[in-house]
Amino acid sequence: MRRTTPLFSLLLAAALTLTACGSGEPEAKPAADGSPATLRIGYQLIPNGDLIVKDQKWLETALPNTKIVWSKFDSGGDVNTAVIAGSLDIGLAGSSPVTRGLSAPLNIPYRVPWIFDVIGDNEALVARGGVTDVKGLAGKRVATPFSSTSHYSLLAALSEAGLSEADVKILDMEPPDIQAAWQRGDIDAAYVWTPNLAELQKNGGTTLVTSRQLAQRGKLTADLAVVRDEFATKYPKALQTWLQQQDRAVKLARSDKDAAAAAIGRQLNLDPAEAARQLGQLVLLDATEQRSAEYLGTPSAPGKLAENLHSAAEFLKTQKKVDAVPDLGVFQKGLATQELADAFPGN
Amino acid sequence: MSTITAPSENTTGEQAPARSGAPSLWRSLALRAGAVVALVAIWQAVAMARVWPPVFVPEPAAVWEQFLRTTGEGVSGYTLQEHLLVSLRRILLGCLYGVTGGVVLGLLIGMVPTLRALLGPLVTFVRTLPPLAYLSLLVIWFGIDEEPKIWLLLLAALPPVAVATADAVRGVHEDYLNAARSLGARGHELPLRVVLPSALPEIVTGVRVAVGVAYTTVVAAETVNGVPGIGGMVRDAQRYNQTDVVVLGILVIGLSGLLIDFLLQTLDRRLVPWRGRT
Repeated sequence: MRRTTPLFSLLLAAALTLTACGSGEPEAKPAADGSPATLRIGYQLIPNGDLIVKDQKWLETALPNTKIVWSKFDSGGDVNTAVIAGSLDIGLAGSSPVTRGLSAPLNIPYRVPWIFDVIGDNEALVARGGVTDVKGLAGKRVATPFSSTSHYSLLAALSEAGLSEADVKILDMEPPDIQAAWQRGDIDAAYVWTPNLAELQKNGGTTLVTSRQLAQRGKLTADLAVVRDEFATKYPKALQTWLQQQDRAVKLARSDKDAAAAAIGRQLNLDPAEAARQLGQLVLLDATEQRSAEYLGTPSAPGKLAENLHSAAEFLKTQKKVDAVPDLGVFQKGLATQELADAFPGN
Repeated sequence: MSTITAPSENTTGEQAPARSGAPSLWRSLALRAGAVVALVAIWQAVAMARVWPPVFVPEPAAVWEQFLRTTGEGVSGYTLQEHLLVSLRRILLGCLYGVTGGVVLGLLIGMVPTLRALLGPLVTFVRTLPPLAYLSLLVIWFGIDEEPKIWLLLLAALPPVAVATADAVRGVHEDYLNAARSLGARGHELPLRVVLPSALPEIVTGVRVAVGVAYTTVVAAETVNGVPGIGGMVRDAQRYNQTDVVVLGILVIGLSGLLIDFLLQTLDRRLVPWRGRT
């Protein structure tokens, strides 16, 4: 779900850039009431509030003069590329891709106004063959899709257990391949997400640690919203409306779980029971929680998410995936706390 | 007019056609160097114009820097040389098995009509499949280590050789076979002593095509647990938007492919010196 750039990202990048350049002026003139003519949203098939907003057409209703364009993306890396190309206004990307986006060499001019979900039990480290704790993985073969939030969580779990990357053999594989290799007995453990995770758990896998547990211990991974700086400054009202709809979706997921699950089920082609189960594995946050010190925080006191992104950048530096670790301040500025505060002035 | 013996020795007087004189050699070298320089210059100009951000079009200097970095401290845990060597080993093994299998299969298809009817469509079937389509199957059957990668390259390299061999074998002049028979050759001697040598030029062309196909397949083969490997390296870099490493990987794959093709051409000249002169 939260993979970054797969094979076609380069082509996509080129295509998006070409279209962006070809169409000359990508943004049309704002409507008479100051709302944008179009709002281009990049979404992913993750059972969180974004899909509820999409399914219920709340944005279309709340911004009647704006044309809402929803484009599906498979990974945060692609979302990064699309934002660089100027083809997206608001997108969904995992915390790993966003960390890269805010660091050199990408330095994408975007900020994080909302946390769609904190990854919970839907990503986990499972092992077999009598391995019952993370320490027991020394010398074993562990598979995970590289550059994903799972990859980050795996390395976090290993370092927690006092193991270095060299102590285990980490293999880069896509979730379906992980499942195949697991069935053949080629791998001893895997950090992966549902639905493949559920199959491993059924086939003799012992869950060693979940992303929910890691989040509680400060190694948080999340699906984040990113908004282009230019859009945020130009259309603060539209962004506020967008934020309010997201909050409304989270509240619906809490007050009327069946309706929320039905909406998500329609978007994901799942029956409501399964959608409800998947929705329950994620941690959703309403506006008040988003503004707490634990997450996005307030303009005067940016939240802990900045520290999370900062430590993710340190991790990516050790992986040689970013050139340098930006200061914590860069990530604090990367949180759109002001926009969030403006959208919910009451509390 | 030609002999039916396999030409183990080059007859005298059959030198390379019209040795190119020194001036024209220099000219062709200068032409090639000029083309490369012009290409790099255009690349540099496009990169500097900043029509696209550097993430999309890295400058030549950035790619060169990555070259120095990856050959020194490495990328994805291995140096560029290690990535390349592992991939070359896979290609070598895959092609070796593929070419051997392809020649045998081609001989059979070309010489036995029943087998032609049976296996011909199968070879064409495999040839038209995109490698990524059956990689998942190979992973399920052979695991995630070297085996599925070699198998994939084998399956990529085999059909071109088989098709070329089968066609060449069917094209062997009936007179050769009759001449051999009338000179007392036994039936079982024909394939190895008559058919194969006279089909050799086309088989060697088939091998060149096969190695090319295997080369284009290596990135697909290394999508599952492909590090170390040049394809795995490119894939890993793509995921992190490290376009300079991607460009570097593509250049390395292309240049090593050119080198291998050059070696095969040399081999071709050594192996089939009578090509075009029978």
